[in-house]
Amino acid sequence: MEWIRIFAKRLLAILHRQKLESDLDAELRGHIDALTEENIRRGMNENEARHAARREFGGVEQLKECYRNQRGLPFLETLAQDLRYALRMLVKSPGFTAVTILTLALGIGANTGLFSLVNSVLLANLAVRNPQELVVIKYTDSRSEQAQEDFSYPMYRAIRDKNTVFANVLTRSGVNFNASYGGQSERAVGELVSGNYFETLGVQPFLGRLIGPEDDRTPGAHPLAVLSYGYWQRRFGSDPAVVGKDIILNDNPIRVIGITPPGFYGTEMARNPDIRVPMMMATVFRPVPANRLQSSRHRWLTVLARRKPEVSFAQAQASLDILYRQVLAAELQELGASVNAHEKERALASRIQLQQGNQGFAHLRGEMERPLLLMFSVTGIVLLVACANLANLLLARNAKRAQEVSVRLAIGAGRGRLVRQWLTESLLLAVLGGCAGILVAYWAKTALVGFLPADFSTNLRAPMDLRVLGFALLASFITGLLFGLAPALQLSRTGVSIALQNDAPAIASGERLFSLRSALIFLQLALSLPLLIGAGLFLHSLRNLRGVNTGFVKENVFLATLNPAMNGYPQGRIKSLYDDLLARVRTLPGVRAASLTTSSVISGGWDQEGVKVEGYQPGPDENMSPNAAAISPGYFATMGIPFVSGRDFTEQDSASHTKVVIINETMAHYFFGNKDPLGKKIGTDDDPKVPPDREIIGVVKDAKYVRLSEAPRRHFYAPMAQEERLSDMTLQVCTSDDPEKIGDLVRAQVHDLDANLPLYATTTLEIQIDDSLTQERLLTWLSSLFGLLATMLASLGLSGVVAFSVARRTREIGIRMALGAQPGDILRQVVSPMALLVTAGMAVGLAAAYGLSRLLGSMLYEVGSADPLAFAGACFLLGVVAALAAYLPAQRATQVDPVVALRHE
Amino acid sequence: MAQPRGEVLQGTLDLIVLKTLEALGPLHGYGIAVRIQQVSADLLQLNQGTLYPALLRLEQRGWISSKWGVSANNRKAKYYSLTRSGRKQLLAETESWERMAAMMTRLLGRAEGA
Repeated sequence: MEWIRIFAKRLLAILHRQKLESDLDAELRGHIDALTEENIRRGMNENEARHAARREFGGVEQLKECYRNQRGLPFLETLAQDLRYALRMLVKSPGFTAVTILTLALGIGANTGLFSLVNSVLLANLAVRNPQELVVIKYTDSRSEQAQEDFSYPMYRAIRDKNTVFANVLTRSGVNFNASYGGQSERAVGELVSGNYFETLGVQPFLGRLIGPEDDRTPGAHPLAVLSYGYWQRRFGSDPAVVGKDIILNDNPIRVIGITPPGFYGTEMARNPDIRVPMMMATVFRPVPANRLQSSRHRWLTVLARRKPEVSFAQAQASLDILYRQVLAAELQELGASVNAHEKERALASRIQLQQGNQGFAHLRGEMERPLLLMFSVTGIVLLVACANLANLLLARNAKRAQEVSVRLAIGAGRGRLVRQWLTESLLLAVLGGCAGILVAYWAKTALVGFLPADFSTNLRAPMDLRVLGFALLASFITGLLFGLAPALQLSRTGVSIALQNDAPAIASGERLFSLRSALIFLQLALSLPLLIGAGLFLHSLRNLRGVNTGFVKENVFLATLNPAMNGYPQGRIKSLYDDLLARVRTLPGVRAASLTTSSVISGGWDQEGVKVEGYQPGPDENMSPNAAAISPGYFATMGIPFVSGRDFTEQDSASHTKVVIINETMAHYFFGNKDPLGKKIGTDDDPKVPPDREIIGVVKDAKYVRLSEAPRRHFYAPMAQEERLSDMTLQVCTSDDPEKIGDLVRAQVHDLDANLPLYATTTLEIQIDDSLTQERLLTWLSSLFGLLATMLASLGLSGVVAFSVARRTREIGIRMALGAQPGDILRQVVSPMALLVTAGMAVGLAAAYGLSRLLGSMLYEVGSADPLAFAGACFLLGVVAALAAYLPAQRATQVDPVVALRHE
Repeated sequence: MAQPRGEVLQGTLDLIVLKTLEALGPLHGYGIAVRIQQVSADLLQLNQGTLYPALLRLEQRGWISSKWGVSANNRKAKYYSLTRSGRKQLLAETESWERMAAMMTRLLGRAEGA
């Protein structure tokens, strides 16, 4: 406590400095006067007496300084003094200050912006109670190296009821709704949640109540729902009266019982379901298969558990693994002969693998981790280059300030004190840059989030929280130290005598300055080249993706999805609705072709179906699941996919006729080699006793299905008329001009057929493809931007060094020219050390890029990590820019007038 | 910043100043300096100016207080006096000083005996 009082007194003393200063003067004068009088009394004359008194008293100024240090807070006062001085210096050279702050704002801003994403995507915990106690339950088996996380309901129930290590175990699964309220219907993202979902997470209702265990007992008997805060705001205008009312979900009246709190988004970042219903309602909302809740063969749930506080992660894993294998063994026993030997073996080799659940099901994290960290490192490197550049700028300024430093040293300034003052200056710059950087970061973050696919950018909150601001501050300080320390130390080594000899400020100190500055240029070039090469690799990859042969025509196709099954249509009515819709749309003006499909190309997902093939014996672990889609006649015409042989489906290929399929070239080659597949039969693998029953009537060219970068895949098409069940279909309309114009006409037709049928995912094929390249485009843009920025900074630095060297050697150049040197000689002399520097920097950069580019491997499409085009292009660009940067100021050297130069200084 | 001579004697100087103020009552800096010179019989070689930072330090800690007054020869002077907590401090420091002195005496005495 005492130090606080003393601190306060000292702080007050700073504020009353003037009065205290005159008090001190008076007091000391009084003392010396008294001493003098005493001496006079002893018989000295006045002059002698005063001298003696002064001697006895000691150095007055020295004492005062010591007194002041004791009185105030010397650290703060010095800091304030340094800051004032630094501000004066910055104001005196506004150009330098502006350039520096701008550079820092961009550098720190880009880093902070990316950090805010890293912070919320990679570091943020779920918005629930004690998230560190949560674990995601997964299992491993021989199917894939990655752990799987899909469980059957019986398995979930067994884990929940028989485990001894968890306080609670929840399960959930996604579901889509057609939600109607007040005569308006739309698609909503839903979630089936177990009765203990909210209890496990520790979430309290914002309004009403949440789903509890008593709401999840009997299949199909709990027609109630909880709305998310965001959905309630958006859809119901935050009307509290909605709680207790019914909404219509897929034709079922469902009672809204409560609203979840604002920050809560569920068990996965950036996936924020609008409506949650009890798990037991799966029989209503996902009616197929009917035994979904009883069958141990249907794995459709993800499971999250809360550890008991006293149980460690490893204990939980070990204990659960034993339980899991017991349950599996019992299940196998029960299934008996219907499980083949291979499946049995795989099941018995399966093991539980827990994963920390503090971030929930971190799918987004998995997707974004590499690109985010990559971009974060890139911005870090740019900031380093910027630091090197600023250090160079400061060194150049130091050369001008050498005289000032010498004077200061000569009159007794301590070197430590000088270093401190210089560092204060660079830290002030860094903090100013950091503040501006926070604004840049805010903008950058918003822009970055805008670049992400809409389905998670809308739910991705990347707040500029304390952690982000702390990062900005820390980055500023480190930056300030990095670019300020070398120049400060360098400057403090300036000799006392040098600058006082008026004419030679640059010679003795200049040599050392020169080499330090060269090292910084070297560093900048070595850092910039890998960034440029990275940008080149991404650019090349994106170009490859853009130019990829998709196998279909992407221009002028309008897309829209609808799902009458959700509105409770029986199968017969679904089929007739689709037929009606297709017939109506085909007559619309400007429509060239229209068709329906279960899977729309490059939308990120696709069905796969296990098949058996006439005359083909699969190996034990062979993948027999090609891509599959059910389509209407006219699909290939709409998409511009050509036939290799055979024919398209027609209206005659209906449910009552021979089952038919069309396969793609890859599938034809895979199963039939060079033989003609037409007339051969394939079948689904549902029942081993039924022989293949679908006749191949056509072979079409391959296309890209899920994403542009995929390898050729086996694919077969079945006519939708021969499907047992239809649910959502995507309508594809090929138009003669702008496909977006057809949207309203199509919407009107759907509304005319059923006003309660929402049309969603309306877009054009071109936009859909463009959206699939979001991440690639983002990486390309950012790496190009940062690569060019780094190159620009490096070349500015190089220019500065050459200009400095020319200025320093003006007199020498003048003498040489007076003695007959040609401009070419001078140019060579100035530029050649730079050429060496640039070559060395680029060589090191090249080696680093070669090592690092391997890390990009999986993010590139048909570009080797040692892609000659990217490497050569980047080297060429950097080389040309560096040559220009060195040549332009060197050119000035040749224009030196010997007469003027000799009179220089 | 170079420290004036006598800074090493800080603890001792504090004690001497407190003791002086206790013995003589409120006193100005010059008076304290004269008194120290008398008592130490010039053994304590210090610039009189050194006294002032010490006085400031004692005042900051609340052991002495100061007030402007008029000296015997009609000059404006700052008078320092002991506060209550200063008195306590003096007691505590005297005690610890005596303990220290006794210990040093014992230690040195034994060393001689050995």
